[in-house]
Amino acid sequence: MNPPRPRNSLKHSNYLFLLPAFLFYLIFVLYPLSDTIYTSFTQWSGIGEKTWVGLENYKNNLSDKKITSSIKHSFILIIFYSFFPIIIGLGIAGMMVRIKVKGMAIYRAILFLPQILSMVVVGIAWRWIYAPKGPLNSGLDFFGLTEVSRAWLGSFDYALPFVGLIGTWVMFGFTMILFIAGVQKIPSELYDAAKVDGAGAFAEFFNVTLPGLKGEIIVALVFTVTLALRNFDLIYITTGGGPGTSTMIPSMFIYKKAFQMNQVGSASSLGVMLTLLIFTLISLIIITLREKR
Amino acid sequence: MKKLLLILFSLMFSISASAETLRILAEAGDEATLTRAAAQFEEANPGVTVEASYLGWDDFMATIKLKLSDNNPPDLAHGNQGFTVDGTLIQNGLVIPLDAYADKYGWKKSFADGSLAEFSWSEDGSTWGSGTLYGISPVAEDVIVYYNKSKLDALGLSVPKNFAEFEKALAASKNAGELPIMLGGADGWPIIHVWGLIEGAFVDPEQTRSWIFDAKGNEYATSSRRQAADKLEEMVKAGYFGNDSLGIGYDDANAMFIDGEGVFNLTGTWMTAQLNEGMGDNVGAFAMPRSTGGVAGGGSFALPWHISSKSANPDLAAKFIAHLMSTDFVDDLMEVGRVPAQAPTIDPTSNLQAEVIAASNKLVGSNAKTFYTDWATPGMYDTVTQELQKLLGGAATASEFIDAMAAESKN
Repeated sequence: MNPPRPRNSLKHSNYLFLLPAFLFYLIFVLYPLSDTIYTSFTQWSGIGEKTWVGLENYKNNLSDKKITSSIKHSFILIIFYSFFPIIIGLGIAGMMVRIKVKGMAIYRAILFLPQILSMVVVGIAWRWIYAPKGPLNSGLDFFGLTEVSRAWLGSFDYALPFVGLIGTWVMFGFTMILFIAGVQKIPSELYDAAKVDGAGAFAEFFNVTLPGLKGEIIVALVFTVTLALRNFDLIYITTGGGPGTSTMIPSMFIYKKAFQMNQVGSASSLGVMLTLLIFTLISLIIITLREKR
Repeated sequence: MKKLLLILFSLMFSISASAETLRILAEAGDEATLTRAAAQFEEANPGVTVEASYLGWDDFMATIKLKLSDNNPPDLAHGNQGFTVDGTLIQNGLVIPLDAYADKYGWKKSFADGSLAEFSWSEDGSTWGSGTLYGISPVAEDVIVYYNKSKLDALGLSVPKNFAEFEKALAASKNAGELPIMLGGADGWPIIHVWGLIEGAFVDPEQTRSWIFDAKGNEYATSSRRQAADKLEEMVKAGYFGNDSLGIGYDDANAMFIDGEGVFNLTGTWMTAQLNEGMGDNVGAFAMPRSTGGVAGGGSFALPWHISSKSANPDLAAKFIAHLMSTDFVDDLMEVGRVPAQAPTIDPTSNLQAEVIAASNKLVGSNAKTFYTDWATPGMYDTVTQELQKLLGGAATASEFIDAMAAESKN
């Protein structure tokens, strides 16, 4: 009979199962991350030697008005990428509780569709919709609103909100599916109790549905806020940051600095700053909203 | 068995001895040209295989420095004029000087003195505009004015002979309810070409070239350049670019011009084949006339060819460039719709090509090509596209534009 294995060695050997995944994580996440952090303290053209410059890149970023205003744009985009989709998603989920629609699966699939499309496809499609002679303007002209129609993405006033609306369209399918799934796990007794207490649709929504979806709302916020801040492809395809700098966001600067301006060190520092910003915001969201135990 | 191995071995040896592969990485716009050249080169040099691969503009420019710093880079590759690409490649010793090959194949003799300045650098890559030759191209690219012939006829106008006449034509177009200038400003860079033409009309080409080669060391905000910026602002306010130009992409703008929208289209000669195909004899071209006589406009050679410093066979790479630069190949360039930098021997393949080549010759003859504004500094592309969009959208004045450009010049 074999002697029983000491528990400790069993525990250690368990970690071996993590090794393959950890190696991948090390090579594809931790190494590039630490290399980016190192590069962010240097001046580097992308090839050749890196020159150590300390915190200079960070100082320059913070004093660059174009960059600070691009962060402002990101926060405006959070409204469109995060708040609007969550409100629409909650609205649909709340209605679903009260109204049973035939063929709901089909509607759900259609509303979720934007979420599975490539952002490049979405960007090109909306660029066409917003074009000076695109469907949106044709529609406005048809109703006699020729005064209103314009080159939406070429307008210094409207480009940012109109790019934001594309984000709303893409993201609300995700929040909707999340909330509909969440609603189904809320015990039906709570709804019955609310009915007995004479709660109307709104009271029911605010007292039963909304508190029951707290976990899902946190998940939705984390995902959508992250996307709003690190979003690149949609802006790159639709406006390229223009006109002027009116839709410029930090990730566009990272791309431009690294690939157009030979400033990989500066691009890295902006990348690190953006990561820290996202990390801080997400932590704040989770800490403020999570269940108190 | 031994014999068999011996035969196999000698066979392998003989293949590796005679077979040479030339690896080329090119920007996708050159595919038609290179496909032709590669076939001719392989036929003229038995045992040589040309392996060309292509990347679209954005991908190419984003990765070319990394590709050439690789341990196994292509033998021959495009670069891009300016400090951002060519300067970086030379500073890091990734491409070799071509002077010896230029002498051997007589490239310098084909062009006027100083016209290869855009390919010339100090050996450490720190100064640009004179010194050692690092690149060469057989293709000329000029920014000129294309126009819709029937529309200009209908307005009772002929090709403008000076800038004032050009302005009159714009005003007449506007009054007749036509869009004077079709511009795809959403992409940003097409406005650089428009600016190059207006700048060329007022600023001495030599002054603009000196500034591009050394932006730090030359004054940007000169009175003639302010005059050009004021003129552009005036043209915007007069509605010569329409209300929607910032919402239209470059490709869409050209498609719309082909469909009969807009009297003028201010763009580069790379569009010649496409415009000719779309409009036939209804499209013409001329070099932008200056305010004080003569012509001027943006433009340069096409992207330079560089030989990698790690190439195992730089002589073969140079021989391929020599094929592209040869007088025999000039006519091939014509046939694929490019504008050759050297005089062709065959007739133009279309009416438009004839007018384009005439315009190009005028620009080259008066040494009036002013390159592209964005070459000046690594950050200039961003600055000039953003500031021009602001000027076009009414979000900045001409003097704010000049100030922003002057500030970027010092970076």
